[in-house]
Amino acid sequence: MADATWKCGKCGVPLEVKKTVFSYLDRSFTHDVEVCPKCGAVRIPKELAEGRMAEVEEQLEDK
Amino acid sequence: MRIDKTRLGKTQSVCPVCLARIPAERVARGGDIFLEKTCAEHGSFSAVVWRGDDAQFDKWWSYSPPDNAPELAATCCALVEVTSRCDLRCPVCFAGAGDASTEPTVAELYEIFKKLADAGSTFVQISGGEPTARDDLPEIVAAARRAGCETVQLNSNGLRLGREPEFTRALADAGLSFVFLQFDGVTDKTYEKLRGKPILTEKTEAIRVCGENFLGVTLVPTLVPGVNDGEIGDIIDFAVKHSPVVRGVHFQPISYFGRYPTPPRDEDRITLPEVLRGIEAQTAGKFKIKDFNPSACDHPRCGFHGDFVVLPRGKIMKLTKKYNPDACCGADAHLKNRAFVARRWTRSPDAESAAQTEPAADARDMSAFLTRVKSHGFTITAMTFQDAWTLDYERLRRCSLHVFDGASTVQFCARYLTNA
Repeated sequence: MADATWKCGKCGVPLEVKKTVFSYLDRSFTHDVEVCPKCGAVRIPKELAEGRMAEVEEQLEDK
Repeated sequence: MRIDKTRLGKTQSVCPVCLARIPAERVARGGDIFLEKTCAEHGSFSAVVWRGDDAQFDKWWSYSPPDNAPELAATCCALVEVTSRCDLRCPVCFAGAGDASTEPTVAELYEIFKKLADAGSTFVQISGGEPTARDDLPEIVAAARRAGCETVQLNSNGLRLGREPEFTRALADAGLSFVFLQFDGVTDKTYEKLRGKPILTEKTEAIRVCGENFLGVTLVPTLVPGVNDGEIGDIIDFAVKHSPVVRGVHFQPISYFGRYPTPPRDEDRITLPEVLRGIEAQTAGKFKIKDFNPSACDHPRCGFHGDFVVLPRGKIMKLTKKYNPDACCGADAHLKNRAFVARRWTRSPDAESAAQTEPAADARDMSAFLTRVKSHGFTITAMTFQDAWTLDYERLRRCSLHVFDGASTVQFCARYLTNA
């Protein structure tokens, strides 16, 4: 996941891997993602959005 | 008194004697709600349907049916009876006992399953009688799967499942998804009263054998006032301790199907809010009323559900989200419900082995949560069936649990209103 080529589009500094809190339907989860150390912008890779994040959403979907 | 008028109003019901459709009214008295009606020929009837007027239960009363509600809602789960034989003679059972001569063959059942699956009804409950009375039950399960049914549930008293592990293995191999196990309590006294036999050991054996065969088990207690309504907490505790084999508890307050010589007394009934209060009180607040929402797929007052994960050392993570009344009316409620119960009540061998290798993982970690919710998902649900005294057409029209015999689809409560 740590792709050294990614930089923050706004700040121009390299992203750093950081444990980040995600909230959905009143619940919070943590996951390591790349974050801009300056402005806090987070890069969500496609495979995370379509993979685990989508799975968490599905699991939390109520009947 | 806090009960407001929106809780009350007119509906339709049946006369418990002649079963003619007659007008009925929900009436508040002393903080409780009763269904009252008069048959021109057989007189007046009243039955308690809701006890208590606590504000926590308002969400069960926030639904108002659309004027154009169809007579038959979409099917979430189709129940198929494969036998009327049974190896128990329960004083509280509404299914008539019969012999093998009238049972549908596997080929006939395949046609029934095929009709269901082709119509998009891919979640079937194999029921009876006691389905394990049939030696060819594994072939029946295989037929359902072959016909295209994705989720195949077995309703069973569990006696044969525990006694004959090879039979249970054959069911699992045939593609059975999970078992709804009649489980009324954690004491033999309860079974003697409700089932006529002390069979707690047989029940725990059934759970053990299902566990060995990676079959999920949901415990299904019939709640009877004065018999096991004090065991609600113990049953939940037992279920949590047996996670992940046990996937949850599905409470069914007793209903009085069939023709009774005398009307059941109100003290012989336990209503949904009492079950919820019992859950909170008897689990010392481990599970609270606010952790539960009304049925979404069926009429809100037909039941409730709570969604949880059992964490290491029996800690509970709560997943039930804020109640959204609109969710209950969606055209796809039956599909959502079907997907929900299938993913909670079916075991995941992969997730269970992953959970074993990282048992102490932080459940807030996204990956650890995903593993744990699949391996140790846990539900507490309830469905309160209607009988000839409590039948409310508003509820019946929202029913998504249908009995299918190959020719007609009937709501569960309409099917079992009488023993005929």
